[in-house]
Amino acid sequence: MPDAVHRGATASLRRIRLIARHTLGEALRLRLTSLLVVVGAGLVLGVLELREFNFGSAELKFIADFGLGALGGLGMLLAALATAQLFFNEIQGRAAYCVLTRPVRRREYIWGKLAGIGALLALFTAALGALIAVLLFWRGGNAGAAMLPVLSCACAVQWFKLTLVAAMTLLVCSYSGSALFASCAGLILALTAQVRPFVSGGGHLTWLRLWPNLALFDAGAVLSAAQPPAALVLLGLIVYWAAYMTVFGVLASYVFKLREF
Amino acid sequence: MTPVMDASWAVELIDFGKSYRTGWTGARFRAVDSLNLRLAPGEVLGLLGPNGSGKSTTLKALGGLLAPTRGQCLVFGHAAGSDAARALIGYLPELPQFPLHLTGREFLHYCAGLSSLAAEAATERVSEILHWSGLTAASDQRLGTYSKGMLQRLGLAQAILHDPPLVLLDEPASGLDPAGRLALNRLIRDLATRGKAVVFSSHLLAQTEQLCDRIAILGGGRVLAEGTPTELLGTVQAAAPQPSRLEKLYLDKLGEHA
Repeated sequence: MPDAVHRGATASLRRIRLIARHTLGEALRLRLTSLLVVVGAGLVLGVLELREFNFGSAELKFIADFGLGALGGLGMLLAALATAQLFFNEIQGRAAYCVLTRPVRRREYIWGKLAGIGALLALFTAALGALIAVLLFWRGGNAGAAMLPVLSCACAVQWFKLTLVAAMTLLVCSYSGSALFASCAGLILALTAQVRPFVSGGGHLTWLRLWPNLALFDAGAVLSAAQPPAALVLLGLIVYWAAYMTVFGVLASYVFKLREF
Repeated sequence: MTPVMDASWAVELIDFGKSYRTGWTGARFRAVDSLNLRLAPGEVLGLLGPNGSGKSTTLKALGGLLAPTRGQCLVFGHAAGSDAARALIGYLPELPQFPLHLTGREFLHYCAGLSSLAAEAATERVSEILHWSGLTAASDQRLGTYSKGMLQRLGLAQAILHDPPLVLLDEPASGLDPAGRLALNRLIRDLATRGKAVVFSSHLLAQTEQLCDRIAILGGGRVLAEGTPTELLGTVQAAAPQPSRLEKLYLDKLGEHA
């Protein structure tokens, strides 16, 4: 007989943490992760060769802009592709059955996956952010160092955006039958959210106002301001992010609860 | 909280049916139709039948991986899939692919954590179960280095790690060599002597005849025949699984070669 089936919030959080740690371990071993980290690092370092195409920007601004652009673009790919791959690897390999037939609730599985992927994206953001910071410091000395608080904020804002993309993809994964469909749909949803300000003017696309606006998490705007955003603005962004993360997480948990294998 | 086993039957399938919608037309495919089965604690039930006869569907329903479209599917009186029922079962899927970067011990610790075993109890239980499944020597090797037989034994180990009173095994012998199959048979029989109810599906008729207290032959989602081996075949089952003459010769030759 099982002698320790705990049903409280502590036990639930413990299982979520276990699934998250396991997911992160798997994620770090994905070839996709290594590939995107190498490409990202290559692009960030490659900025030194591309300085002549800076369209008149100051060198440091160009390095930060270009680096954060690479981080955002590749991070979005990582968020959508890794989420789908990690989710379907376990389902198709039936290892998930060993988890879901235990006293693990479906919502714990979903939140655990999301937390694990969030941790992966945090590491990815921190790694590329650190590389950009090193370049800024190397090229600009004190001027570069002065940009670090803004860069940190911009990286944090990027991470919010990437985790939202992962949450959207996980929602698709919760009902989809294939990793390819989930990856593509996740990316399309992310792109829709990115260009939402251009299409939510009215008419047939008014409903898109319900969809998250990823343009709010614009690292370029943070950089252009040349100082970290005001606390109230940052708090607003965090609340906006948390609200959509909750909506996507709850929806994915509900849909996954109804899923049959 | 300890889940309560408030029924005398480990498994009760009452008029259990499962159908799926298929294709664009949404036509229903009936995987299982009106299945009635009961299994007492300490008994081994073998589900036999061709592919598509409903064996895996039945096991998945008992594991809570899918919901019945008709009838009831009970585990010690609890609806299959409920928290209480899931705390009482161990499940081995067909040909599972475990995370290959983990060692056997790490994987079992992960499973123990998910079953809410306390850290100290988990360490003790993992060592015990590794010994029981004959994997102690390989416990710190990565799963990528395990043979199919070792992975299957690890699968069985994770299924009984939390000491569930009901163990569900989907094609546990698939892909195993004769030695691995024999070892698996002994492990399953050992579970029954410890009072566990075991339900497994198989295509191996000899294995099923040797191992089971009850056999159900499924076809087209229905029970075609069900009963004890004695009732079905008129023979008395051996106390413990014995190798056949060919298996004995095979194992002797392998032993000589080694």
